[in-house]
Amino acid sequence: MKTLSKITLSLAVAATVVFTGCNDAPAKQEVVKPTITEASLGLRKTDLYSEAKDTFGDEAKYSKTYAGSGNKIVRAFQDAPPMIPHDTEGMLPITIKDNQCVGCHMPEVASGVGATAIPVSHMTNFRPSVKLVGQDFKKSEDVMKNDVAITKTKDGKLTGARFNCSQCHAPQSTAPLAVENNFEANYTSKDGASKSSWDSSAYMDSILETVDGKTKASSVITADDIDFSDSAAGTLEGGH
Amino acid sequence: MALSRRDFLKSSAAASAAAAMGMTVPAEMQAAAAKNDGDWRWDKAACRFCGTGCGIMMATKGEGADRKIVAVKGDPAAPVNRGLNCIKGYFNAKIMYGADRLTKPLLRVDANGKFNKQGRFAEVSWERAFDEMEVNIKKTLKEKGPEGVAVFASGQYTVMEGYAAQKMMKGGFRSNAIDPNARHCMASAVVGFYQTFGIDEPSGCYDDIELTDTVVSWGSNMAEMHPILWSRVTDRKLGDPDRVKVINLSTYRHRTSDLADIEIIFTPNSDLALWNYIAREIVYNNPEAIDWDFVKKHMVFAASPVNMGYGMRRKGEKSLKEGKYTAKEMETINQEMVHVVSENEAPALEPYGYKAGDKMVNKPAGLKHWEISFEDYKTFLAPYTADYVTSVSKGDPDESNESFKAKIKELADLYIEKGRKVVSFWTMGMNQHTRGTWCNTLSYNVHFMLNKQAVPGSGAFSLTGQPSACGTAREVGTFAHRLPADMMVKNGKHRKITENKWNIPNGTLNPVGNQHIMKIHRDIEDGVVKFAWVNVCNPYQDSASASHWIKAAREMDNFIVTSDGYPGISAKVSDLILPSAMIYEKWGAYGNAERRTQHWRQQVLPVGDAMSDTWQWVELSKRFTVKDVWGGYTLRNGKKLADVRKAAYAMGYNDDTTMYEILFANKDAKSYKIDRENDPIQSGYDNTECLGDERNVLGSDGKVWEGYGFFIQKYLFEEYAAFGRGHGHDLAAFDVYHKVRGLKWPVVDGKETQWRFNAKYDPYAAKATKKTGNSHAFYGTLAKKLAQGTLTGITDKNKVSLKNKAKIFARPYMDPPEMPSKEYPVWLCTGRVLEHWHSGTMTMRVPELYRAVPEALCYMHPEDAKKYGVKQGQLAWVESRRGKVKARVETRGRNRPSRGLIFVPWFDEKVFINKVCADYTCPQSKQTDFKKCAIKIYKA
Repeated sequence: MKTLSKITLSLAVAATVVFTGCNDAPAKQEVVKPTITEASLGLRKTDLYSEAKDTFGDEAKYSKTYAGSGNKIVRAFQDAPPMIPHDTEGMLPITIKDNQCVGCHMPEVASGVGATAIPVSHMTNFRPSVKLVGQDFKKSEDVMKNDVAITKTKDGKLTGARFNCSQCHAPQSTAPLAVENNFEANYTSKDGASKSSWDSSAYMDSILETVDGKTKASSVITADDIDFSDSAAGTLEGGH
Repeated sequence: MALSRRDFLKSSAAASAAAAMGMTVPAEMQAAAAKNDGDWRWDKAACRFCGTGCGIMMATKGEGADRKIVAVKGDPAAPVNRGLNCIKGYFNAKIMYGADRLTKPLLRVDANGKFNKQGRFAEVSWERAFDEMEVNIKKTLKEKGPEGVAVFASGQYTVMEGYAAQKMMKGGFRSNAIDPNARHCMASAVVGFYQTFGIDEPSGCYDDIELTDTVVSWGSNMAEMHPILWSRVTDRKLGDPDRVKVINLSTYRHRTSDLADIEIIFTPNSDLALWNYIAREIVYNNPEAIDWDFVKKHMVFAASPVNMGYGMRRKGEKSLKEGKYTAKEMETINQEMVHVVSENEAPALEPYGYKAGDKMVNKPAGLKHWEISFEDYKTFLAPYTADYVTSVSKGDPDESNESFKAKIKELADLYIEKGRKVVSFWTMGMNQHTRGTWCNTLSYNVHFMLNKQAVPGSGAFSLTGQPSACGTAREVGTFAHRLPADMMVKNGKHRKITENKWNIPNGTLNPVGNQHIMKIHRDIEDGVVKFAWVNVCNPYQDSASASHWIKAAREMDNFIVTSDGYPGISAKVSDLILPSAMIYEKWGAYGNAERRTQHWRQQVLPVGDAMSDTWQWVELSKRFTVKDVWGGYTLRNGKKLADVRKAAYAMGYNDDTTMYEILFANKDAKSYKIDRENDPIQSGYDNTECLGDERNVLGSDGKVWEGYGFFIQKYLFEEYAAFGRGHGHDLAAFDVYHKVRGLKWPVVDGKETQWRFNAKYDPYAAKATKKTGNSHAFYGTLAKKLAQGTLTGITDKNKVSLKNKAKIFARPYMDPPEMPSKEYPVWLCTGRVLEHWHSGTMTMRVPELYRAVPEALCYMHPEDAKKYGVKQGQLAWVESRRGKVKARVETRGRNRPSRGLIFVPWFDEKVFINKVCADYTCPQSKQTDFKKCAIKIYKA
């Protein structure tokens, strides 16, 4: 067991060094030593080939804090979906007739009961409308131009696309992690760790124009882009 | 208006005002608004996870090796997901930063640093790693020929990686033993497409969701497995709750039931009976609903043998003879040779001449099928009355027959209702099935007869599991039997086309492609495959009968290599582990379930010494020359692969020309220039493979890696695309994909295709129907000439062409090879959960996802828990004929099975459920049935 934990530790240290970016490239390794055991690798540290007594899953220990107690979990990064800090027993499943999350988290109620308010992004429809006229498919947006259509819902209603709260928000076990994660959160707004900074302007600016060349028109599809006849490998002589 | 609108949108305040008013704002007209995230760089990318294929916006920050991902948002311009992701999608931000990322190659060595299969791992250089691979491949080629060198490939390869692997394996090593984990995931859908349409991949697209009136989910928990598609379904349902109906058919209750109007719990495997019940309702009770004009112009009826077995090992195979399978295991495996027809099956098999108690002698039947008459099809359907189907299908012992009958009648009525649009979705339930191909073809029958296929808002629509099961595994063809763009290795013409394009001698490609993924495992156990390389997958965790394969990897004389981002079970049982660059550490492209191809650029440098799988393949190719790989071979079936070296000399190659020079660094390849000054696609982005990077990784020759010097990813994509252009599979040019949020192929004249085979929407169908004026053309070319016969066999061998037609198949209900018994009284079903991806190597290392679901639970009915003496929250043994694992019992969770079935997901290394599952497959598609086996459960 002793060697095992040492190895795990040294692996973790090596990884950390790489992540902090101050790793002086070591000289080419001449001598290799068999130091890392199979068991030290991965999430399962017990024997893989048998199902020993000590082989079983990591038990979840979800919060028993009651909803409304004011307990919050820090957002993982700017505008990341917040995780559920309270006990959800009896609140799930979400059905068409019964979405208990909405009861406390809609903005008009949330502050009164100490719940995180559902932000405006959830009262916004991002999907352009489509329809069939006879057999003709109609849509107003052009995918070749990356058109977007962002509209507030009527009366601040939760959009249907975001009705399934548990699709993005989940309760969290308080037990230790299996493996640490070296992601570093960078919040761009003062209260980014606790609040959504979403507003539609953030989507209207140039972040959607991802091809950032010398000319402004670089993200517009040109006839040249579409044409692959000068792509040396891009056509098949004689076809199939 | 246009001019003033541009000015109007100059400030972000105005932009948000426009948004609030519901204006549409074309991106090209947007002026840059003030950025609030200063030094962040935003770029578009594709999500790493499921087959939905969502677009994400990804922010990175920092310079050089310090540049890291800092945030992910849903991409509002991405047509698939429009600004929304699921929990996994958002946490793409963290998947590459788990603390135990593999950063150096690791080799098992002895105390002297020499390779030793029993040794511990040591860090080695890339050069040493390639030395070991080279030695072992050369040794294997000599001993076993090309069949001894195998690759576990992936539906998570980028298009370029898959194409590079395919070229080196099939063109270089002349081995077709490359087969993806996608075999486990959608092979039945593929064979269903080939048999029905003559060409792979769906006719519809996701826009069907917004257009339809009815969503029927067949054995697919879309709410967890395709959450964004489910959010679209939910939006549609809530937008018109009275008109829109949602029906969930499943073997257990789960989140998809939570929004359904009707939930039908059926017995495992009996979806076959349910599809035939609906067809019978149409043909016998609502014949006026059949669109005969459509059917006569576009359809033929077809049948195939029923005694085809279950894709298990057959008598006489080496490991069976050597006694590597226990008597208990053999109880199930013996079904492969002879099956006794059950009371359950007897009515369905009666038209085939079988009755209960008959011994059905199974024979490999291949993909053979023939044309039958509509009258034969009608005879075939006769047994599927409501009474019979209820007796076979009702899956909840606590539900009454009357209740079940009423629900299936309502289901059939919704399909049949004139003017009602219906979409049928499925994934693993119908695919992971010992009659998976059959079940897939049955779905089209119903839609075809009603003319509700390949039209906007209606169609049977196969969803895929993996992000590029379509884009790479299927379209590139990283299967044992395939070549790019629907071509097949056994077809001489197809081989020649490929050889010509690859500039390799005619006769190089191996015509025998039978080493599907389970066959590769079995060949390792039999000692045939001696070198296997795991790429972008985890076959030692994800394959059923797992104990056999991990044992074969460790105990047999072989060399197993795993390339991965993290050490999963496959890495643990390997001899060499290679650190791979993960998705946003390389340029790439994926293709999703609606035929949408999406590209992204390298966002950050890889960690440690990790390098992409493309690089690993291309570097390996430098180690093999014409004389090493292109001599003659004799395959195990006696077939000879010709010595093509002379032909190679005639092409200007010599004995020492490397596969690198031929396959990857040829004249065409070098014409794709690296130009970060003038190419707006490349400008500002790293390209580790082509330029090296500041990490100064020591490469395969021990020298600092400085790049290929040409744009290899673009070359690989463009060359691959050449195969499909002009052949119904047209991909747009590389640059186009970097400017748009993906396009659905065929992309013809810069336009994507929404409904294939429909003359109004698909230029290929339009062309094919020019003379006839038909509404559709099912223009696929595979198996489009059929002999004539009856349900039981061929009566006239003369083949009749069915050009531009599709097929309606007679395929009966049959039992699976293993069913609950006295000793093993409960069904086991496996699958995924929302928060984890496949074997969990990435998602178990994201704190939010791990904390949401840290372990795989055993979901079961509270009465069953009582009955078997196990308790909520406590450990229980789950044991089959093959093995056992412990899992914690959950009787109140998100999955709520009826009595008689448990569900245990497979993401958890510590709950290694694939030791319990069986490796029987659909004998046609070779896809494993992970959804049903018999177990017992007791207190641990």
